[in-house]
Amino acid sequence: MSARYGFVIDLDRCTGCGACMMACAAENNVPPAPARATPRTGLTPMLVRKVSNGIEGTARREAFIPIACMHCGNETPCVGVCPQQAVEVDKATGIVMQMPQRCLGCRYCMTACPYHARYFNWWDPAWPVGMEKSLNPGVAVRMRGVVEKCNLCPARLHSAKEKAAAAGKKEIDPADYLPACAEACPTGAILFGNLADKNDPVFSAAHSSDAFRLLARLGTEPKVYYQSKQAWVKALAERDSDRATEAQHA
Amino acid sequence: MKVTRRDLLIGSAGAVAGLALTPVPWKLLNDVSIWTQNFPWIPQPAYGPVETKYSACTLCESGCGIRVRMAEKFPVGVAGVRSHPLTKGALCPLAFAAHQLNWHPRRLREVRHAGRAASWAEAQAAFQKACGEGPIAIVDGRPGRAVSSVFEAFTRKHNGSYQAVLSAESQALAPYADWSGVPVASLGYDLENARTIVSFGAPVLDGWGTPGRFTQLWSERAAGAADPQLRLIQIEPSLSRSAARAWRWVRVREGIEAQLAAGLARVLLEERLVTQPGPMPRLSLAEAAAQTGLAPEAIRDLSHTMMENRPVVVIAADGNPAIAALNVLLGAVATPGGIVRKRGEVQPHVPDDPVPESIRAMLVDSTVPWEFAAQANAEVFRFAAWDGGGDRAGWLLPAPGFLEELTDVPTSPTSALPTYAVAQNLVALPIGVQSAAQFLVKIDPTMPAVEKVIHARCGEIFRSRQGSVYGEHPIAATKVDSAQHLEEQLRKGAVWMGEPPSPGKFRCELKEWPMENRVAPATSWATAWVPPVFPALATKLYQESNLREPPAERRG
Amino acid sequence: MTGRRNLLIFGIGMGLAIVTGWTAFPRALYVRREQPLEFHHKTHSEKSGLTQCDSCHVLGSDGEFGGIPGLVTCAGCHAEKVGTSKSEATLVDGYIKPSRETPWLVYSRQPANVWFSHAIHTRRAGLACKDCHGTMGESDQPRIYEQNRISGYSRDIWGHSISRLGRAPHDGMTMSDCEDCHRRRNVEVGCLGCHK
Repeated sequence: MSARYGFVIDLDRCTGCGACMMACAAENNVPPAPARATPRTGLTPMLVRKVSNGIEGTARREAFIPIACMHCGNETPCVGVCPQQAVEVDKATGIVMQMPQRCLGCRYCMTACPYHARYFNWWDPAWPVGMEKSLNPGVAVRMRGVVEKCNLCPARLHSAKEKAAAAGKKEIDPADYLPACAEACPTGAILFGNLADKNDPVFSAAHSSDAFRLLARLGTEPKVYYQSKQAWVKALAERDSDRATEAQHA
Repeated sequence: MKVTRRDLLIGSAGAVAGLALTPVPWKLLNDVSIWTQNFPWIPQPAYGPVETKYSACTLCESGCGIRVRMAEKFPVGVAGVRSHPLTKGALCPLAFAAHQLNWHPRRLREVRHAGRAASWAEAQAAFQKACGEGPIAIVDGRPGRAVSSVFEAFTRKHNGSYQAVLSAESQALAPYADWSGVPVASLGYDLENARTIVSFGAPVLDGWGTPGRFTQLWSERAAGAADPQLRLIQIEPSLSRSAARAWRWVRVREGIEAQLAAGLARVLLEERLVTQPGPMPRLSLAEAAAQTGLAPEAIRDLSHTMMENRPVVVIAADGNPAIAALNVLLGAVATPGGIVRKRGEVQPHVPDDPVPESIRAMLVDSTVPWEFAAQANAEVFRFAAWDGGGDRAGWLLPAPGFLEELTDVPTSPTSALPTYAVAQNLVALPIGVQSAAQFLVKIDPTMPAVEKVIHARCGEIFRSRQGSVYGEHPIAATKVDSAQHLEEQLRKGAVWMGEPPSPGKFRCELKEWPMENRVAPATSWATAWVPPVFPALATKLYQESNLREPPAERRG
Repeated sequence: MTGRRNLLIFGIGMGLAIVTGWTAFPRALYVRREQPLEFHHKTHSEKSGLTQCDSCHVLGSDGEFGGIPGLVTCAGCHAEKVGTSKSEATLVDGYIKPSRETPWLVYSRQPANVWFSHAIHTRRAGLACKDCHGTMGESDQPRIYEQNRISGYSRDIWGHSISRLGRAPHDGMTMSDCEDCHRRRNVEVGCLGCHK
């Protein structure tokens, strides 16, 4: 019985606070930026982008879009191009698993990803002296020269599996597996669950009329859905975004 | 037979061929590749089992419940607590990296005096001398804690005055306290019963009050709906996060909150939209329009909209009395949905003592904002866990950092119900670090110990037989069998919450319309309080992305 | 004449390399390291009556494996000296009294990016401890710890035999050993099933 884990992110609820970005970085041992890192060279496996309707004045509308790996289910672009087979789609969970240990750093996958959801370790990870004692033991630390991205918090999936095994169960309790971003969101905008389970709230949310996916025309079948009642937000779904068109911080 | 160079070469060739038939090249390749994956300069996490413990975050007065994973005596992860009655599992963005703060490069680990290293003994001697020589003051950034009662006891006994520095949320409640005689700590906002909330620049969805409380309420009742049950009207000069998500954004000029409140009050009184009579503001509608940048029709419209869906309550970003007066006029004081009085005994903030003209020395607690300006000519004893920057004359004393000291969490100012929690210290206090309370107890051992005060408070809560204890599941306080048991639960991360407020119970007397305007504080940065240093991972939000502005350079 | 001589020299070179590669190399590759103190499993199971591995190597209720027991477990009986051995004196005076965790050298320590769940392998797969760890629990003398000078891991990971031929089922804990067993039992897991 395989699962298809995914998200439905409500863009009408997202306030752009950034809690998901912080929780992701802390859970996954992402290092803080060295002084010369920029938005282009930084490591943000979960990234919240600010967008606007382009109008100035009182008619201006802004929204925030959390973007992490979309865990594409069809002809996954990054899987197809990797010379090292360092990324694979997991049959049991649908997670697109990035293995930094196998990566040789060619960054072909970064080019292939239509969502710019992959990040390169330009530098060796460095924390202030002693701060490495606060690293999450469930996640391996990467070195420079490898690509990383959201893996749907496998450390938490591991804990859920162990807990189930200790209790003699074969399947995990869905309440035990919640990625850091979904847990952190203070408005409940990020809904996580098994898209293959009709009883899971994420299933009905993904099939609601307000739900859409980014760049759905590419046919990669991402497992991250967004929903909004605002037409201008839905209209962004098929546009290419690059950092130049993004709303700069006010 | 001579052995020639050629022999050597042939022999070497044979050796190479032979090596291929041994494990040498293959094992070396294997081992070297493993070595390349384990470079010694790549930091490794702790090895070993992880325990889960519960406590309360100590970064700001909200004291959100946190679930902390511990490995080898240090926290390795922080998350919210779903069963917490106020936060419901939410935390501000900074809390997720708070466990790393204790190793921040600006962490203070030694006593400093006028820029040079010094010792605790010297600091203690200097403070004792100051106590003997003239009036001292103790400045507390988070009044109402057990520690605050130690400060208050010390100042009473040693010729001193106790000063509290209130958060923006507490300051916003100060006018109601002045007009009704009810202490600030006993007031709160009954947002759960409001249907229209008008925020005058308060960042209600991005760092106001306890994280999670309003964001979840708003998310359930308003997010995405064209005609929501809960209407949020945000009055602000620019499109902040709260304004972007609000039901209506009213764009005004900066610094004109009092004028807009006056204009709205005028319309409400002249058109008899409010039942209670009130003092008329001196500003005319036309004047208010001119100064705020809104047309008179727009101000009229806004006041009608405010009255459409009641109860309505107004939230100020700071202690602006004009906005508080508007609430009084709207009947949003001592009624459901408005400013309410928390039921029962709430840990009162010790009232400020009058400040003498010249103070000999000032002891500033680590909870006081870094920008706090001490009185000139006073010798400053500044407790802080992190150095916020800027020139420092006086004493800089290393205080406990995150989860390093046992303390308690009195009720959040914005809450309508009283709460109490204990922030158990989960990390051993580093050598050379001392809290202000410990410092004072060393000087005067008759001072109460923080543990004893917390113990007494748990006893009071137990004897009140009110409210519920929220651990993994809520239990009515009447079902808790002893004060000891209650304290144990709180020390393990449970939260006590009292009963909802009963209506009425106090009145605000407003004799004339206040025209004083106050400058709103600088825009919040994910949290209403500004920490002395930001967690290292905050670079994700401002340097590695464009999500937020970089934190302002500190003066200090 | 020269040809045969060359062949001879070639052969000598080859022979020397083969002999060195199979004898001196494995010996040189590993360095013997001492455990902080000598621990005898057999004595402990006899004296305490605890014959199950998980009496001290505890598997928690949430599935977390405790690994080599910490001081708390040893102090349960050894808070004060109960015997006369030098090892126990080292334990009590050097570690228990000053509250310093004993820095055991772990034979089966895997790289940081490996995730192995004892809960899943013992409860769900029904493996016995000795299936992977051998009869360590019945040892009456401490096992020698040999560390690979280059990779830093214990010799137990590669397996005692340098050629990995003719080894016991539990001798060797490399990724290919895990894969072999998974293949035999037809248990498919993705990369993240074993990696962090």
